[in-house]
Amino acid sequence: MTTQAYFRPRSLAEALGLLDEHGPAMLVMAGGTLAMPLINKGVSRPEKVMGLRQAGLDYVRSVDGGVHIGAAAPLSRVRASSGVPLLAEAVKNVAGWAVQNMGTAGGNLFAPPPAGDLAVALLALDAQVKLASHRRGERLVPLAEFFTGFLTNCLAPDELVVEIQVPKPIGKTVLLKYGRLYTNTPAIVSVAVRLLARNGRVNDVRIALNAVGPHPFRARQAETTLRGAALHAEIFAAASSTAAAECEPFTDPIASADYRRRMVNVFVQRALAQAAA
Amino acid sequence: MSEQTLNVVGQSVLRRDGLSHVTGKTQYIDDIQFPDMLYLKMVRSPLHHARIHGIDFSEAEKVPGFVRAFTYKDVPKNIYTILCLIGVGPDEEPVLAEKEVLYKGEQIAAIVAQSEEAAIEAAAQVKLDLEELPAVFDVEEALKPGAPIIKPWGTNYFVYEGHHCRRVRFGNIEDGFAKSDYIVEGCYEPRPIEHAPLETTGCVAKPEANGRITVYTNTQALYFSMDNTALILQVPFNKLHFVGGSVGGAFGGKVDVIVEPIAALAAMHTGHPVKYLYTREEEFHVSSTRVAYRIYFKDGITKDGHIVARQVTSYADSGAYNRHTPYAVTKHAANISGPYFIPNVHIDAHCVYTNRVPTSAMRGFGVTSASFATELQMDKIARTVGMDPYEIRLLNAYRNGDMRPYQKVVGDATLVEVIKSAAEMVHHPLGERFQAMTSWDRANSPAQPEPVSPEKRS
Amino acid sequence: MASKIVTFTLNGHETEVLVKPLTTLAKALREKLGFTATKCGCYEGNCGSCTVIVNGEPVLSCILPVEEVEGQSVLTLEGITPSEGLHPLQQAFHENFAVQCGFCTPGMLMISKALLDKNPHPTQAEITDALSGNLCRCTGYDPIIAAVQQVAEGTNSNQGGTHE
Repeated sequence: MTTQAYFRPRSLAEALGLLDEHGPAMLVMAGGTLAMPLINKGVSRPEKVMGLRQAGLDYVRSVDGGVHIGAAAPLSRVRASSGVPLLAEAVKNVAGWAVQNMGTAGGNLFAPPPAGDLAVALLALDAQVKLASHRRGERLVPLAEFFTGFLTNCLAPDELVVEIQVPKPIGKTVLLKYGRLYTNTPAIVSVAVRLLARNGRVNDVRIALNAVGPHPFRARQAETTLRGAALHAEIFAAASSTAAAECEPFTDPIASADYRRRMVNVFVQRALAQAAA
Repeated sequence: MSEQTLNVVGQSVLRRDGLSHVTGKTQYIDDIQFPDMLYLKMVRSPLHHARIHGIDFSEAEKVPGFVRAFTYKDVPKNIYTILCLIGVGPDEEPVLAEKEVLYKGEQIAAIVAQSEEAAIEAAAQVKLDLEELPAVFDVEEALKPGAPIIKPWGTNYFVYEGHHCRRVRFGNIEDGFAKSDYIVEGCYEPRPIEHAPLETTGCVAKPEANGRITVYTNTQALYFSMDNTALILQVPFNKLHFVGGSVGGAFGGKVDVIVEPIAALAAMHTGHPVKYLYTREEEFHVSSTRVAYRIYFKDGITKDGHIVARQVTSYADSGAYNRHTPYAVTKHAANISGPYFIPNVHIDAHCVYTNRVPTSAMRGFGVTSASFATELQMDKIARTVGMDPYEIRLLNAYRNGDMRPYQKVVGDATLVEVIKSAAEMVHHPLGERFQAMTSWDRANSPAQPEPVSPEKRS
Repeated sequence: MASKIVTFTLNGHETEVLVKPLTTLAKALREKLGFTATKCGCYEGNCGSCTVIVNGEPVLSCILPVEEVEGQSVLTLEGITPSEGLHPLQQAFHENFAVQCGFCTPGMLMISKALLDKNPHPTQAEITDALSGNLCRCTGYDPIIAAVQQVAEGTNSNQGGTHE
């Protein structure tokens, strides 16, 4: 059926109220870069749609050295104003300029792997997402706990993602996206690494991956093997191999599962080496 | 000698449609609007190979805006093949499927409605009663005994003047192998390629007050499309007026006559303009692709690098219908021995049908795939013999006076000079013997023409 | 919800259009208003052919609900074509054979204009980055990059056009 109603709330409160009133059958979108293609094709046929562009969620605010990003902040604004180089790197990997103008930080969290370039950077930075509902208020969830499966997450049917909070980044960060093209391409594998080194050893590390599992995730086993270890190519290679073993890659027209797994092993150690340099 | 004034040669000539393109004034099919225009959406087979037992339009007819449905019964001459006009037969592809479908996505019924949304909705409401049949997807599997036969004449291959493949015979292949020091084998499989033009395939057919039908189309093959449409509709050619020439990219993907006949039929019957424009999904899933091949080489090489025997068995995957593939395979057979002089050649080039999307033309069709294979094989030969890849090609390149395997004497060869120029451009050194080679160094070569001095050139 | 009237500035002129909910800007421009220079190659925001400029920023009109441009300023290829002659980008595209079938051309021109408006003298890498979301199946991209570079390197390079 053709859409009967398109709501454009002017505040978060209004948006949450509409979601409460119309329920989860109402499709929520911000930039529309994920939802509108499906609607254009007739794959998605929502009777009601809510657009969040006007709901006051498009801000990018520096907070205590970190940044709070409204869920409907355009990716291009994140690239220009977040002050966090890793986030700018991540946005550069998203499609082209016009998509970066339209797509949003919160919306990108709903992109089906291998798409979705922002989450690896956010995971490496220990980001949290603020969720809100009309009846139950707000809650903060670590992004690492947000994703539960392929296109599933911990959002309740009456909740919206309203903000992404990134603490002050410490350590050296590296983002590597490997695709079949240099730009405007889905990932074969995306790796984001944040490394805190002290006295030639790994003090702490984050390794985040996308396109090699049902959702973006941290390679926790690989991280564990690295803590306290020396900054050494062999150590990085072993961690990379662990990361490759703990991922759950899929085969799609872009790449086979086998190739993706082998590329995890290449790019994790490359990212670690760059972070340690 | 009088002075020549050249207005075009040697000048940069701007495109005559360039101004129209850069100002956005070029009219493509989707830019065409008429106030009473109807939209055609196609009901397609969800199965690779199936028998059609029935089609139920009752739910579709209830969709607001539904105008008409068309099946094969509405098509005056439903079975055709696009190249019938140049003597390539038989007619074997339906405009709309009759009793069977042979590929996933095949056209079964056309729905015409007052809006695009209504046409999509109505097409989605059509119920198909299909009996799935075994399908075959691999060229060699399709030729094995016991494979499901998908063509009405009882084989899965195109018949070339009574033969099961296109054959080239030259010299004596066994003698050639007997004289060889090395046998080099290879198998090359160029895959199907989707042209993916930015503008999808489509047309608008409009009935005129004087009884003619104007068809605005982005086909590359305006005359093929018009003439085939006339034959399908069984109308005199002059009843149709085809308007085209603005093609938003094609690369061979818009040479098949697919959208015009049914759109013109719908326009005739409804009395309204009818637009039939592929979606991007249809362009990817259903429109023809470049032909995929599986090509087996067995070459006999002497230790000094001459190819003295070439045996090729090639299988082209035509998909479910002919389109341009039988013609492509003829060209392929002529070119698969490569631009080289080989005294003993044995080629069997099969045009095979499978339950895949029909393949057709794409840039250099038949030949591009052959070149892919011959040149990979040549590199393999070079490595086997231990020769430089440029030099082995210069050694084997055909010269003027050489007989090609299909019995034509070469008179216009320049391959040796081209290879030498290429080597020079990339600073690839050639041995003296190879540097001295020309296209005229055979004893039976025709006389080399005098080079034109720079002064005589304009 | 009934159809609604959306009012916006199109190529410098205040324009009203009556649309059903969620009608895209591309559909409104092409079918309701007859501005067909903007092309649709995919209807899913993948090819860039539908690129237009809204408040100075390039967006994909095939996935943008027209209601989102209420009160905004929209610029299409029709808006940069002068009544006589050509915009420098149009001239450069024509002269550099950056145009073959022409279908990607409107989107390429609009993204190039958006770039030069913000960055009059981009490097080749900046041009490539800006145009990376626009697909072309004909030219191989080099003539397009060369055309934009030619305008970027010229003086007074981005003036012209009826409605900036």
